[in-house]
Amino acid sequence: MNTRIRGLIVVMMIASAGCSSKNVATSPDAGTDTSQLQQGGIAGSGSQSGRGYGFDEYQTGPIGDVFFDFDSSMLAQEAQDRLVQNAAWMKSNPGRSVLIEGHCDDRGTSEYNIALGERRAVTAKEYLVRLGVSSSRLESVTYGEERPFDKGQNEEAWAKNRRAHFVVK
Amino acid sequence: MIGFSKVIISAALLLLAGILLNPLAAIAVEQGEYIAIRKQGTGKIAIVLDRTSAKGKTESAWAQSLDAIVKDGLVFSDLFSILPPPSNIRAEGKDKAVNFSALSSVGSEVYAGGSVSKKSGKVHLDMEVYDTFGSKLLLKKSYTGSEAELRSMGHAFCADLIEMLTGKKSYFGSKIVFVSSKTGNKEIYQCDFDGQGVQQLTNFRSISLTPVFSPDGRYLAYTSYTSGRPTLYVKNLADNTIASVVKNGVSVDPGWRNTGEVATTLSFEGDQEIYLVRPDGSITRRITSSRGIDVSPTFSPDGSRMAFVSARNGLPQIFIQDMQTGAVKRLTYSGRYNTQPSWSPGGDKIAYTTWEKSGEINIFVINADGSGLKRLTSGARENESPSWSPDGSMIVFTSNRQGGKRLYVMGSNGENQRRLLQMEGEQMQPSWSLFR
Repeated sequence: MNTRIRGLIVVMMIASAGCSSKNVATSPDAGTDTSQLQQGGIAGSGSQSGRGYGFDEYQTGPIGDVFFDFDSSMLAQEAQDRLVQNAAWMKSNPGRSVLIEGHCDDRGTSEYNIALGERRAVTAKEYLVRLGVSSSRLESVTYGEERPFDKGQNEEAWAKNRRAHFVVK
Repeated sequence: MIGFSKVIISAALLLLAGILLNPLAAIAVEQGEYIAIRKQGTGKIAIVLDRTSAKGKTESAWAQSLDAIVKDGLVFSDLFSILPPPSNIRAEGKDKAVNFSALSSVGSEVYAGGSVSKKSGKVHLDMEVYDTFGSKLLLKKSYTGSEAELRSMGHAFCADLIEMLTGKKSYFGSKIVFVSSKTGNKEIYQCDFDGQGVQQLTNFRSISLTPVFSPDGRYLAYTSYTSGRPTLYVKNLADNTIASVVKNGVSVDPGWRNTGEVATTLSFEGDQEIYLVRPDGSITRRITSSRGIDVSPTFSPDGSRMAFVSARNGLPQIFIQDMQTGAVKRLTYSGRYNTQPSWSPGGDKIAYTTWEKSGEINIFVINADGSGLKRLTSGARENESPSWSPDGSMIVFTSNRQGGKRLYVMGSNGENQRRLLQMEGEQMQPSWSLFR
């Protein structure tokens, strides 16, 4: 029951986060966000999916996700760049906190993936803390392979599922 | 009597804990010693299962049910070839003695038969087992229970029969606990050793994972997301109270060391390490200390050694740690991704899974000293989560060989792999109880 309510809240948050970045383009929050994304040098058509690394159909919020290699919780350069931008957004939005979900592709075995998912979420969290974001604003949880974004059985889908997913509260 | 001089096994009187039989009515005549007629590994035991005799309509219906239960139980064990009873099995006359020459002529080694009656409202089953060649009574035992306990009674007889013939405890009466997505959420279920009697144990509408009974059956440990994060819970099955490990971070994948200690991975101190936890959720001590993932503890039957998965060298491999000295040695060297160890009840073997280059996940067994590596599954997609039956003769596991993930069983050498149960949704993470 508890989790169902929590799930609903998360869904609502994702929805509202998506809205704010779309509709409130004039707000300072969204402004900061957009400028940083453009600094990232990724040409976008203006659509959600065109916002570059960290954004896709499963992440349309104000801050982007980071992706991992197979069986890894190491942050590649692109992931580190993304986290620098996420940290900047969090500094300009001091009232907001973030839940970082660690996810894995569904290959390998599920118990190990729960542990791996936690390392992904915690690695991302620790990186943000080192960039000066207060750890009290960052929560982490692992879903292992339990909540894949893309149910496909190919490298494209697996790559999408190996991520630390940011849910802004 | 000459045929009985090979192996002498003392057969202890079976105490079927958990099965509601009247112990006073269950008397084994041959409880002193049984002289086995067979050598190990000589193939299946040829048995004639006679129809249970009964007078009256109710009793006949019970007899029919019991015959089916016993036959199914013996078929499941994969130890017997079951022969149809010859027509002249009982000699003519008042005593209706067993016609042993007729049994020998159809190749039967063992004969089992009996009668069922109603005694003070209860079902009363009298069973006799004979060695066909020596015409010797091997087992004579009575089983009493309510009509609802026919299955337990039939299985109690199967357990007695197999223990007498093989000298080993069997899995009759044991349970398998597992996870299923039947309702759309991963909930915990249990079923009997043969896939019958499926029962849903949780209704959390969350994600519940890795259930495992304590060795005495008093507790169920599992991981659940009911609090929003994966947390270890220990449920007391007698009073339904639930304790949890109240720590930050993850707590996943429990494995019982003994009835009073369960090991699990916790990350509240930063890195993921394995700890010993009491059934009340309090921590006894930390076991592992290495950078990287340490997960999936499983213990030798005496609790002196723990096998577990560690990524301390990079990709996951299985290690064994001495609980007294803390000394750790790597067990698996074949395969790049080895996880899900399960220590056999006999103590000599460890089953685990390898994610192979082909993309298949297969179940292997290896001796606890690292010798004798053997692949048990192959050419059948992903086979995971091996767990031994209490007697070590079988392994239950998950496979997606026919589509979604389902539960399968096989012999401990990989023989006779077959589906355990038919159920909606996917089934996974089976754990066979050590009690019955």
